[in-house]
Amino acid sequence: MQRRTLFKAALTAVALTSFQATMAFAENPVLKIGFVGVTSGPAAAWGISNQRSMETRAAWINETGGYTIGDTTYDIEIVSFDDQKDPKRAIAGMEKMAQEGIHYVVGPNVDDGAAAVRPVAEANGIMYFPYAFPKSLYQAPASNAVLGMVANYQSGPAIYKHLMENEGVKTVAFIAANESDPLSQRDGGVEAAKALGLEVVSDNVTYQVDTTDFTPVLTPVMRSRPDLLVLSGVSPANAPQLIRSARELGFEGLISTETAQDAGVLAEGAGDLANGFISVGGASTPELASPMMNEFVDRYTKMFGEYNDESNTKVYALEYILETLKADPSAIDNVEAFQATMDSFEAPNPYMNGDAKLRYVGSTSFGQKRQVAVPLVVNVYQDGAFETLFVAEVD
Amino acid sequence: MFGFTAKQLTGVGIFLFVLFIGVPLIIGATGRWDFYFTLTSVALLAIASAGVWLTFYIGRINIGQGAFALIGAYVSAILVVKAGWSFWISLPAAGIFAAIVAILIGLPILRLRGVYFAMITLVLTQVVTLTALALPITNGAKGISNIPLPSGVSLFGIPILPDFAGMENTKLAFYYTACILMVITYAALYRLVNSRLGHLCRSMQQNEELASSIGVNIAYIRIVIFAISSFFGGIGGAMFGSIAQSVYPSSFQVADSVNFMLNCFLGGLGFVFGPMLGTLVLYFGWDLLFEFGKYQMLIYSTILILIIRFLPNGLLSLRFGKGGDK
Amino acid sequence: MEQILANGVYLGSQYAMIALGLTLIFALMNVLNFAHGQMYVIGGFVTYTFYGQWGVPFVLALVMSCVTLAILGALIERYLFAPVIKGSAREESTMLLAAGIAFFLDAVILLVFGEKQRGVPKIVDGVFNYDFRLIMPYDRILICVLAILSIVAFIGLMQYTKTGRALRALAQDRTAAQLMGVNVDRYSMIGFALGAMLAGLVGGLLVTITGVNLGMGGPTSIKAFMMVMIGGAGVISGAIWGGIILGFMEAIGLAVLYQYGDITYLLIFVSLMIFLAIRPQGLMGKPWG
Repeated sequence: MQRRTLFKAALTAVALTSFQATMAFAENPVLKIGFVGVTSGPAAAWGISNQRSMETRAAWINETGGYTIGDTTYDIEIVSFDDQKDPKRAIAGMEKMAQEGIHYVVGPNVDDGAAAVRPVAEANGIMYFPYAFPKSLYQAPASNAVLGMVANYQSGPAIYKHLMENEGVKTVAFIAANESDPLSQRDGGVEAAKALGLEVVSDNVTYQVDTTDFTPVLTPVMRSRPDLLVLSGVSPANAPQLIRSARELGFEGLISTETAQDAGVLAEGAGDLANGFISVGGASTPELASPMMNEFVDRYTKMFGEYNDESNTKVYALEYILETLKADPSAIDNVEAFQATMDSFEAPNPYMNGDAKLRYVGSTSFGQKRQVAVPLVVNVYQDGAFETLFVAEVD
Repeated sequence: MFGFTAKQLTGVGIFLFVLFIGVPLIIGATGRWDFYFTLTSVALLAIASAGVWLTFYIGRINIGQGAFALIGAYVSAILVVKAGWSFWISLPAAGIFAAIVAILIGLPILRLRGVYFAMITLVLTQVVTLTALALPITNGAKGISNIPLPSGVSLFGIPILPDFAGMENTKLAFYYTACILMVITYAALYRLVNSRLGHLCRSMQQNEELASSIGVNIAYIRIVIFAISSFFGGIGGAMFGSIAQSVYPSSFQVADSVNFMLNCFLGGLGFVFGPMLGTLVLYFGWDLLFEFGKYQMLIYSTILILIIRFLPNGLLSLRFGKGGDK
Repeated sequence: MEQILANGVYLGSQYAMIALGLTLIFALMNVLNFAHGQMYVIGGFVTYTFYGQWGVPFVLALVMSCVTLAILGALIERYLFAPVIKGSAREESTMLLAAGIAFFLDAVILLVFGEKQRGVPKIVDGVFNYDFRLIMPYDRILICVLAILSIVAFIGLMQYTKTGRALRALAQDRTAAQLMGVNVDRYSMIGFALGAMLAGLVGGLLVTITGVNLGMGGPTSIKAFMMVMIGGAGVISGAIWGGIILGFMEAIGLAVLYQYGDITYLLIFVSLMIFLAIRPQGLMGKPWG
């Protein structure tokens, strides 16, 4: 009975959504932008915050009359594919995007998926914006991937340096989940810390992603008494528990990570124990967020009931795609034109106060401009909200 | 002819026609080029599922096929990238390596039965994933990426297999390769099941002690079957690595092992072609429900539950009536 | 050393509770319930909603978790498992059903409770600290005690009540129990509901410490399978021992092997495989399940 009702509800909802969709898209020609990422299962939070920020922005654009590229005004439609964090599915998703005639795709969310879709994307002329850090994705001969955020090997050194200079941090310990992405990030972090002259006192403790009690995991790390504990590539689900366990074990040093977190999740999971926790975010703090950012958050909250702070960093990819297309309308179905435009593209950053710019960077890390310039905003958690620690730029 | 009825031969003929001519024609006509990859995946996963089905045939629930698929993918990738082998030689090598691993592991664990065997194979999947994360030769967490496409093979100057890298449309080439492999696998499976070995397996499935008492060397048969099963897993995995041009420790994991098993259940354990149909429905079904957005999983699982609720012996039992056994 | 023991007891008691429900269902119906972890997650979310969101007293929220899961379990048994078991030629087919239910519950959890990690306010503040040799937050101690009490209560129920006797009879020999006048269908349903309820209870208890998110289901099921296998499938005491052993293995393994870094878990899993290969029926299971 319960199942039947749910099923009915689901069907009705689907019918309604598609009905609304047809209504909204009746006037302008439609520009489809793809999303391939994980929106179900354990890592659902990553992909969902992505997908929702894209959908929020698209609905906003459509409501205000569409987006003008060249002489045409388009309505934006987001086509999402759930890859279930499986590289095999991610390939299928990219094929689906090619089938839909889409040339610009956001995602995938993890290393293996991003590597697996590369052949398909390059064969079908698709630019994609993964949230994965392996350099081989962005270095020549790879041509079609654009890193959609700040990589940990870029943000990590900035954070460590800041903490060395301002907090007198001398020793650092790393802990990572026993999975590809976090382990790679940990190795990058260790390298960066050593290059800065920090003493790495522990870098080989790992935990399984399904760990429910972090006390035994953290006990040996705590024994090395580091000034700074880095949670490499930590998922938003694990971060509060790790912080809580570390603090309960009597750890008094600093804790930081290079991934984006959600203040609400930290507040619920660790409460006051999370005070002082350092993470990377977008323009999330009041003094940095532009009126447009605030409106985005409002609309997101209205549409989905609850905001996710991770979306602060995930709002950018779609904006970059659209702005670049606006700068060069011929790129709309021609990724070579897009790639050529990337080298010189520049536009004001609408989500941040001040004169920050949207442009492509990455020459230092990848030898070609294959990264969006997201302001590197380092946040510190304090009583349920993030405060800006410092802002830096990536080149 | 060869003891097949005319009806069976017609069926196989129609199936092959649809597979090699019908599907490309339909895709060409409708322009749904994305289905090539999905169907290629189905073919490759069906090969691995065939292996799982075979272990069911000796009465073992196998949740370890993901481990062998991952081993196959890595062996092929390492041979191609680090040793510079041709992919076409690395493919059987991957299968054979998986089979050797299966023999070594199978010796102690094949004594187990029922849920115990299921569980130890499940743990095996974890072990292989973690090993891939830890070993230097597998490149640890970074995986192996940028694997070159299969190169051409020629014998005495006559090209036998084309060079994939020089091709306009690798999708079609991979599709045909996967389908040919799948047809060979299921032909071999069918032959095996209807051989003397197959009869012995069935007797083991019923009662191992009894089979043993009438002089069947059950330990030997178990190992052979498990090795063949893992060979299929290795081949499927290796081929997948070549399509994705990358292998990661997470390329095949516990969820994949479980899915291989579900494919067999869904198709029907009593039917040789069950795993093929099961894979098609489970994998292709997910793609077809793509339009439903966030309700995709809900609808997918509801359909799955309804199928098993009303066809507990698998989809193929629909045709042969309730409880029909082979 | 004290710390390792304390960690082991704490982990072991919570693992044992998760394993109990799974093994009960397995013993009664030979069903390997892949959806057990999802039931645990739902239990966590129910307690979260009542206690964390609506401010209902914690104990009442726990009861709500139990009731919800018991009803859910009974419905699933009555309308899905029972008919499928009757109709299938090989009883392993229920694994597909269980997996389908796991997918379904995952989808429902995502739609109803969202994708975020959730947590509730601490039920007790403060940390017990004995000279930095033994550190244990008070809420953990409380949950550990509650878990042990629940296990004891469960054993009592199985040993000394009519329902418990009927369930044990059913687990031992289905046909014989039926011949002795046990209403098999009814008690299968009760047993399944009880197993699901245990999952909900432990989910509700642990949400105060670990929080809950929709991704915990699958891995929890797998972990529970391992504990059940260590102890011996379908044996109540086996599940308890299995939970405790896995808890200690993790606590000790992590303490002793931590310097091996990335291969700590590999070693734990490999030793588990070796153990199972040497002692295929687990510690106290019937051979061949």
